[in-house]
Amino acid sequence: MQFELLNVDKIYEVSQENKVYGAKNVNLKISEGDFMALVGPSGSGKTTILNLIAGLILPTYGTLRHGEEDITKLSLEERTKHRLDFMGFIFQDYQLLPILTAAENIEFPLQLKNYPKKEIKERVEWALNQVGLDKLGNRFPKQLSGGQQQRVSIARSIAGKPQIILADEPTANLDSKTAQEIIDLFKKLNQEFKLTFIFSTHDQRLIDQVKTVLYVKDGQISEARNHHV
Amino acid sequence: MSKLGLLLKFSFRNLIRSPKRSFILIMSLSIGTGFIIWDLNFANSGSKEVMKEFLTQYAGEYHITHKDYYKPENKKEFDNYKTLSDDEIPNKNLLTHSTKRVTAPVFVSGEKKTLGVLLTGLETQKEMALTTLERAVNVGRFLDPMGDREIILGKRLASRISVKVGDEVAVIGQALDGSVANDLMKVVGLIDFGGGDLEETLAFTQMRTAEEFLVMPPGRYHQRVDFDMKDESLPTIPGLSVTKWTELLPEIGVSIRFIDNFTWIVSFIIVLVISLGLSNSLMITFFEREQEFQTLNIIGAKASWITLSLMFEVFMMGTIAVLLGVLLGHAFTTYCYYFPVNIQLFTGGKPIIMGGMIIQPLVRLYPVSEYYWKVPLMIYFFLGTTMIYPLIRVIGRSKNAV
Repeated sequence: MQFELLNVDKIYEVSQENKVYGAKNVNLKISEGDFMALVGPSGSGKTTILNLIAGLILPTYGTLRHGEEDITKLSLEERTKHRLDFMGFIFQDYQLLPILTAAENIEFPLQLKNYPKKEIKERVEWALNQVGLDKLGNRFPKQLSGGQQQRVSIARSIAGKPQIILADEPTANLDSKTAQEIIDLFKKLNQEFKLTFIFSTHDQRLIDQVKTVLYVKDGQISEARNHHV
Repeated sequence: MSKLGLLLKFSFRNLIRSPKRSFILIMSLSIGTGFIIWDLNFANSGSKEVMKEFLTQYAGEYHITHKDYYKPENKKEFDNYKTLSDDEIPNKNLLTHSTKRVTAPVFVSGEKKTLGVLLTGLETQKEMALTTLERAVNVGRFLDPMGDREIILGKRLASRISVKVGDEVAVIGQALDGSVANDLMKVVGLIDFGGGDLEETLAFTQMRTAEEFLVMPPGRYHQRVDFDMKDESLPTIPGLSVTKWTELLPEIGVSIRFIDNFTWIVSFIIVLVISLGLSNSLMITFFEREQEFQTLNIIGAKASWITLSLMFEVFMMGTIAVLLGVLLGHAFTTYCYYFPVNIQLFTGGKPIIMGGMIIQPLVRLYPVSEYYWKVPLMIYFFLGTTMIYPLIRVIGRSKNAV
């Protein structure tokens, strides 16, 4: 199912006279298997577009669709459930829950989805295996390196086999070697399992590896380039 | 794992993530709970002990009197013509541990002066077994059960009418048949109530002497006094109207009620202060975890789930604290049962004067079961209310952010 943003504007009212466009006339279609990066300077509107896709914020004008479903018509709680059912998230600073082990962090959204115990176990093992952390499931986040934490974060995002994974600056906090390993992992997951990734990034190595680059400026997608990687 | 199991695990892990902070919060709450339970038990037992001390010197927990003995419009005004007999008391169990008294206003004359007092005729032996009146006699002796025409006076009364032990006094009053009763009685002892007014207004004699003096038919008397302090409820006795002593001695009843209610108010304030501190701590704790709440919401945990997990966490902490507090409170109460508290610790070593009598009780603490659920309920109520503001702030701020 496609995710679509149709003529989307997101206006932040700083004051009655001063309005700022977080997103302006954004039209975007995201299909299965897309491997896409939103690129632009800080404050250009990349994160706003990610938030709009996630349904974390609603557009001032325009429509968000997932297949036939109009996301803007859903309540706050329904949008949360929608994220749980169809989306995975990866953050710049990993955002693992410190009170849960790596495996429990991956389990958490699956438990919220009420998956059977056996299936949760299988999915967690699969996800840990995909990110190369099979032996480290029992460790708490503080016992893991930055790269390992980001791998757990990726495992958490893919364990539920989501239709789209939104990653906000996923390599920004990593050293170049680890960042490259993480980019390779994204590529592998995209190629092997047709997982859809949307990145917001400044990292040129990641920009070079994605299939589509969307340049964002002043809330607008100013240019789109396709790579053949 | 069920949703409830997940919530419990999540809440418990959060509770133990900052062990020192949780320990301090739990201890402050449990010490507060324990203190309140102890304090309420102390106030209750203290009131009872003070009253017991007071009542056993002079009156009793239950008085059985003729229905017209205390006039409805002024229950403190005595009417000594109204008498009672055992036949008028349907529940004979009430007679087992009670003693008869006859009471009448009389004049007592010494060599130089005459004063009006309340003369009480006593069943001497029963009185010695049931009350502490005998102990209050500090000059001379108590009434001889086999003796006749003996009288005990309050120390100040004796002083005012200038009589001492061994002297004779003239007693003048109105007998039941309307005639003027007068007799000479020998002073055998002086009562020291600690310097109160009752020392000036009370006199005691043998039951037989009083009955003869007041020309009462055999088996008639004015009051039956019962000293069962354990049973707090009023007995229902068909054919008898039952009135609690607090109604007959309203000033003292009000004092006791004041102490009880004031203790509850103080307890409330203690819990309120603890709650405000707790609310502040919760707010700080929650705000520290604000980013986690945002993450939880982004990855699919509904705001209601996050709220519930925080409530579970706080109630888990509250339950541990309350259980510990109840144990602490009970342990201290039990300790003070075996090692009673001397109430003079709180009065700078001075005795309490109540109703004109000196009160020097050692308070033995009895646990009152209702406090063991009322106090935890109060703690839970305050925990619930203190959570509301931090929760609203945190949940409101944790939405919509990547």
